[in-house]
Amino acid sequence: MKPILEVQGLTRIHGTECPSCLDMTGPEHNTNVCPACGSIVAAANVSFSLQPGEILGIMGESGSGKSTVVKTLYFDQAPTRGKACFRDDTRTHDLFELNSAEQRWLRNHRFGMVYQNPNLGLNFSISAGGNIAERLLMNDLNHYGDIRRRASELLTRTDVMVGRMDESPRQFSGGMQQRVQIAKALATRPPLLFLDEVTTGLDLSVQARILDLILEIQHELDTAMIVVTHDLGVIRLLASRTLVMKHGRVIESGLTDQILEDPQHAYTQQLVASTL
Amino acid sequence: MTPILETPFLETPILQITGLAKQFSLHEQNETVPSCSEVALTAFPGQLTALTGPTGAGKSSVLKCIYRTYLPSAGRMDFHKANGTVVDLARISEQDMLQLRRTELGFVTQFLHCIPRRPAEEVVAEPLILRGLTLSEAVEQARDLLTRLNVPERLWRLPPATFSGGEKQRVNLARGLIAQPRLLLLDEPTASLDKTTTARVIELIRAFKQAGVAMVAIFHDPELVAALADVEYRLAPPQSLPQPTPALETASS
Ligand SMILES: Nc1ncnc2c1ncn2[C@@H]1O[C@H](COP(=O)(O)OP(=O)(O)O)[C@@H](O)[C@H]1O
Ligand SMILES: [Mg+2]
Ligand SMILES: [Zn+2]
Repeated sequence: MKPILEVQGLTRIHGTECPSCLDMTGPEHNTNVCPACGSIVAAANVSFSLQPGEILGIMGESGSGKSTVVKTLYFDQAPTRGKACFRDDTRTHDLFELNSAEQRWLRNHRFGMVYQNPNLGLNFSISAGGNIAERLLMNDLNHYGDIRRRASELLTRTDVMVGRMDESPRQFSGGMQQRVQIAKALATRPPLLFLDEVTTGLDLSVQARILDLILEIQHELDTAMIVVTHDLGVIRLLASRTLVMKHGRVIESGLTDQILEDPQHAYTQQLVASTL
Repeated sequence: MTPILETPFLETPILQITGLAKQFSLHEQNETVPSCSEVALTAFPGQLTALTGPTGAGKSSVLKCIYRTYLPSAGRMDFHKANGTVVDLARISEQDMLQLRRTELGFVTQFLHCIPRRPAEEVVAEPLILRGLTLSEAVEQARDLLTRLNVPERLWRLPPATFSGGEKQRVNLARGLIAQPRLLLLDEPTASLDKTTTARVIELIRAFKQAGVAMVAIFHDPELVAALADVEYRLAPPQSLPQPTPALETASS
């Protein structure tokens, strides 16, 4: 089976890059700030592939570059360099070579994103149903009745009370806001979903139900996902393979059970030991 | 390491391990800890190969290396796939290992790791769903197996988190057995079971052998080894490798 996504050498530097940026940052220098020029190396030389329907975990402490990886793939940020190829039924899209209209099309039709901060994923000035309708409209569904029916199906599927679909998600609990984000992301049945710390900061029981929902969706729709989290429990539950990041670099990768039971890198060993 | 009780087989083996060693490099402690060494064994379809030896001899480590939960430090593990090809489990890519786990390789670990809050019958059914069966087909088979393993019907719809140790273990076994992998790894599958249930497990293992499943197993009870094993390999305490060795390079996907 061909990968749905192949990423090679993805690099994102904030600031004007100097020749030392890559050499003087990273885990062995214990920083992602270039001492020569002060630029921040948010991610450097990140490479991986993802199979259709597979869940890949990206784990690491805050600031290690996890979000940068998914944000560049979702076109929220442009990479400094690197290549990413996304395959759908018809062809291969060289993501960072596309023009902005093509990028927007992929974002709306083929990708879904769920942010840690619901503010980024939802428009609070319109209703929960309206948020989903927005995405459906971009996908050429434009009959009012059809849109409403599909939106309520999606909210039901993600356990959001349909009775509240006309309220602004601003008034919803954190867990419910994440469910609306998931419903919105799923509206177009995207083959690729990015999840950035989606359960961080929620109560344990709320977290658990959202993780269940994510797994159910993966079973039902065979959605490939990249799950970014600093939480080893989330990784253990969701991901078949995991990348570990530190100071913008992938320091190790492997099958998730192997990363957790036989970590190779000193940093991963510490991380795993501290959560036992 | 000495094979005991060996009987000659003309059949093609399913797994041939030679020179397998695993050691952990613990960076913080600046220490290298050997967990198994000089392991050689051959497993055949329809046979149960028992790993025995004192605590610390590395029995579980061998199973975890086969399953790639541990990255082996040295050695080969040739696995004869259903399609006739031979792959070295120590070196195949992660994707190939995931694929083997879905189709040919099963592991009943000592503890049940599963999705919280999912009913036991669905936890058991999951490997079949991954193989493409519908939920209802898979659950039907799961119930059948839970019955055979003496798990009371009132528990089927409940999540295993609250079950007793023995009940959890039966769910774990059922989940490992349901997809009838060609090679099944068993790590003390009866450790917390009562006599009746242990007897059922023995029956099931015999049925699996009849069906041609190969098993590599660790039992806490020597009587079970005597009752079920076709071959026994006794592991000696592990030795360190001559030099600090990084984990073997695996193929990239
Ligand atoms: N717009 C930006 N300008 C400057 N630095 C940034 C910007 N966005 C992210 N960074 C920095 O890049 C690094 C990686 O950030 P991020 O990808 O958000 O990490 P994570 O998601 O792992 O917490 C951090 O040091 C962060 O402060
Ligand atoms: Mg982040
Ligand atoms: Zn610099």
